[in-house]
Amino acid sequence: MSGNDPKDEGQGDRAAPTDSELSARLRRLETQIDRKRPPAAPDLSPRPGSSDRSSLGQAMTLSTEFIAGVIAGGILGWLCDHFLGTKPWGMIVFVLLGFVTGVYNIMRLSGFSGAKDRPKDRKGP
Amino acid sequence: MAASIDPIHQFELKPLVSLGHIGHQEIAFTQSALYMFAAVGVIALITIVGTASRSVVPGRMQSLAEVFYEFIADTLHQATGDKEQRFLPLVFSLFMFVLILNMFGMIPYAFAVTSHLIITFGLAFLVISTVVIYGVMKHGSHFLGLFIPSGVPKPLLLIMVPIEIVSFISRPISLSVRLFANILAGHIALKIFAFFVAQLLLAGAWSVLSPLPLFLTIALTALEFLVAALQAYVFATLTAVYLADALHPGH
Repeated sequence: MSGNDPKDEGQGDRAAPTDSELSARLRRLETQIDRKRPPAAPDLSPRPGSSDRSSLGQAMTLSTEFIAGVIAGGILGWLCDHFLGTKPWGMIVFVLLGFVTGVYNIMRLSGFSGAKDRPKDRKGP
Repeated sequence: MAASIDPIHQFELKPLVSLGHIGHQEIAFTQSALYMFAAVGVIALITIVGTASRSVVPGRMQSLAEVFYEFIADTLHQATGDKEQRFLPLVFSLFMFVLILNMFGMIPYAFAVTSHLIITFGLAFLVISTVVIYGVMKHGSHFLGLFIPSGVPKPLLLIMVPIEIVSFISRPISLSVRLFANILAGHIALKIFAFFVAQLLLAGAWSVLSPLPLFLTIALTALEFLVAALQAYVFATLTAVYLADALHPGH
């Protein structure tokens, strides 16, 4: 166990460790492992709760999510142009925004959005 | 002879009874509406017969109804964390409706109602209206906190808030397009591959190859059953996730 502190070796007597000593040591080891784990693990693992869903469903979800972002941007842009008379600009800005949204949706669903806003991940399926 | 292939033909609406006109548009009772009524009938049958006896050791119908109920209740509870389960009737109805309609679509010669975008968009719009109306009723202006992501520096909000708004608007679109596209594409693919079998059989020496698309059609049918169930599940899950936003808009 590389996670052991040197003081652990000195404390637990190799020859006759009692049960309480062993369990205390085990607990200490667990807390040490827990302390070491968080930076490595959660970045790679997918969002919590997504592991039980089939990957087929996830693949379908991701593709439509992107397309929907672009379409939503297009609709907003068209509405903006139609009602505010900003002929080309509404479409340009909102379709670009739609692309960004599509990528953002995918990033959020696939768990690449960074660990900062964990609760936001719940928004995805 | 076999030249009349039209994979889209199966999605045509056939008016059964005309109910009159609005403007120049005929309002008709189509086979699509008939299938929807049939689906509601099947769902009513499952739930009413299933809950009729209420025995401790469930019979066939009762365990079927219980499986569906518990499945949706679990999904909803995981997504919203809502103890009262006040959206359970909505999500359960949506799930059953989509599931039964998808399964109806898998019956040969039957019509797949969910392959029409307006049906799925209607359902998705219902979900999003519920989210907006319930969210505003419950939280008032706090509901707008939905558009402000947490843990983002102030200057970035200038970009993030429009993105969140477009993202919110894209939700009913993605919800409806996903279901509709899956069912539509699946049925077209099935039809085309099944047609290959007939064409190869008529192609003289090439008919030796006709088992190949046949096996593919069988495999595709299995896949389509999976997709039909999966899409109903995805629809229900996403509905639950969106409803969670109505319950807890702040992040």
